[in-house]
Amino acid sequence: MTAIEPTSVALHARDVQFDWSKTPVHWVPDEPELAHFYNVMHLLLPELELWFVQVFTDALPYITDAKVREDVLGFIGQENMHANAHQGALDLLAANGIDPEPYTSQVHHLLQGWIDRTRKMKPKRRKQSLLNQIAVIAAGEHFTAVLGDFALNSPAFDEVGTDPVMSDLLRWHGAEEVEHRSVAFDLFRHLDGRYPMQVVSMLAVIPALWMLWHRGARMLLEADPTLTPKQRKLTLRKFRRWHRRGLLPNAKIYLPQLTHYLKGDYHPSHYGSTTQAIAYLATSPAAKAGQQ
Amino acid sequence: MRELFSGPPDLRGRPRQDRMLSSVMAAVVGYENALTAVDRMLRAKVPGEVDLVDEDLRLVIAEVRVEAEDVVSLRLSSPDGEALPRWQPGCHVDVTLPSGKRRQYSLNGDVRDRYGYRIAVRRIDGGLGGSVEMHTLTEGTPIRVSRPRNAFALINLEKYLFLAGGIGITPILPMVRAAERIGADWKLVYTGRSRSSMPFLRELLDINESKVDIRADDEVGMSTGRELLEHSAPGTHVYCCGPIPMIDAVRAEIRETGRNPLHYERFSPAPVLNGKPFEVQLARSGRTIQVGAEQTVLDAVLPEVPAQQYSCKQGFCRTCKVRVLAGEVDHRDGSLTARERETEMTLCVSRAAGDRLVLDI
Repeated sequence: MTAIEPTSVALHARDVQFDWSKTPVHWVPDEPELAHFYNVMHLLLPELELWFVQVFTDALPYITDAKVREDVLGFIGQENMHANAHQGALDLLAANGIDPEPYTSQVHHLLQGWIDRTRKMKPKRRKQSLLNQIAVIAAGEHFTAVLGDFALNSPAFDEVGTDPVMSDLLRWHGAEEVEHRSVAFDLFRHLDGRYPMQVVSMLAVIPALWMLWHRGARMLLEADPTLTPKQRKLTLRKFRRWHRRGLLPNAKIYLPQLTHYLKGDYHPSHYGSTTQAIAYLATSPAAKAGQQ
Repeated sequence: MRELFSGPPDLRGRPRQDRMLSSVMAAVVGYENALTAVDRMLRAKVPGEVDLVDEDLRLVIAEVRVEAEDVVSLRLSSPDGEALPRWQPGCHVDVTLPSGKRRQYSLNGDVRDRYGYRIAVRRIDGGLGGSVEMHTLTEGTPIRVSRPRNAFALINLEKYLFLAGGIGITPILPMVRAAERIGADWKLVYTGRSRSSMPFLRELLDINESKVDIRADDEVGMSTGRELLEHSAPGTHVYCCGPIPMIDAVRAEIRETGRNPLHYERFSPAPVLNGKPFEVQLARSGRTIQVGAEQTVLDAVLPEVPAQQYSCKQGFCRTCKVRVLAGEVDHRDGSLTARERETEMTLCVSRAAGDRLVLDI
């Protein structure tokens, strides 16, 4: 008996509708700090995604392959939807007295500054700079696919009674990340991105993402008026507890994935399951509500 | 470079440049310079902007067969007998007809047949002419076909319920074959006006007669959504392709019961919802056309501009994107970026927000 696994899917954006009216800002029961650690994604990911969209749109004229181009267009559509979808959750934070603006404006300034700088370059330099950014995005997309795979395979969220709308956002987003996991890497390779660049960009992305994420988490914890001073601190003990409870991916998940990415024969299609991603997208309440 | 460092204040609101941010920005510039230097050592030059390579396959019609009333199947193969690109169940190709019209057809042959793609076409008189033209093509006619792409992917499951209506059997047929090959627990409910109008009956029965339920309207009446889904176990994924009333009935039933995840492909576009009539001026010819409340801009434009490109007719493939020269747009696609929406629209689903648009066609 052989199996069926779709090797290539024509990507398209799915419309989604999330109803945030019943979601508490501390959406993991008894773990407000963990909720905020995840809430960073509503601040950080839309900024990153809108930057991806700009970089990929600017890269379109350099693409010679019809399939790569079509995948990139589908990717752009999906990333636009992701950025929109997190806006509702961002409004939820604002309604609870947390102003995410100082953080988002910094991230925006950083990323917009980078692409704007590229746009002012002479054509030859510009393509090189776009490729540098695509290398970073491909490395980042490896992590989003790993995280997406984790979200799709983490029954712990349901067991502890996580808010169903937020779990759906995590898994819907995660499933589309798994579905389009090859696009950024294929574009990187198509534009003649080489192995040394793959390694360097990944080594640059790890500290940058870690720094951005932890800064965001600390900012949210400090800004939440309902937390006690003790709750405002991110301690190693808390991380150990979240890892033990299966609520946060740990080094056992990240490290092997990291070594995969640093291998010469890496391709995103070797990891994660398109079947699982599409199966979730067919059951996601937000995706079903979004179908007109 | 200086403006890169004059950013927003630090996170605690202190009136100075955020140090962390400045160092990250310096790191970005350093990263770029380092990578550029490494890359320069690796290769002589970076290619610039380029044209898209035309990757369509040049095939010929190897065989034409009548499959049912008004339905023919065409087997397309390489003129030099070469193997064709591989495909998977759910794949379709864009076929460019001799008149220049471009249409999408599901591949419905066997994925193991490496030397031919089979498509099937039902003739619709009074349609836009694509199907009528397809029916005039004879063996030996050269034809341009895109590489297969999959917008209706079959995923790996233990159980499936397949629902097909009429010519909607085309993407489902290879799925049924695949499900039987992996030993999955599957069932097919196949509906149509009458048995004589339903293509591939014999082929389906040969795959596994006990799992195929044929429901012809002239024998059992029109099947309701409930009847189509009645034997499905809760949680069984449903793959459905057929006319709009059938898909709507299945969706309505599933919305009510919530029992089954649904995958579906429309082979005709969704109806226009809450549309108002408006006027479109075609800037290149200067002509003005009227778009009805239940008509899409694309359908109104095509009789005037037969060469207008389009593909999915559902607002996601972007083939029919055009520049808007004047007028407010009610964007209904899921594929244009915010920046594109400022100057462009998709003809297949988007409409005028007011009563007039001027388009660059």
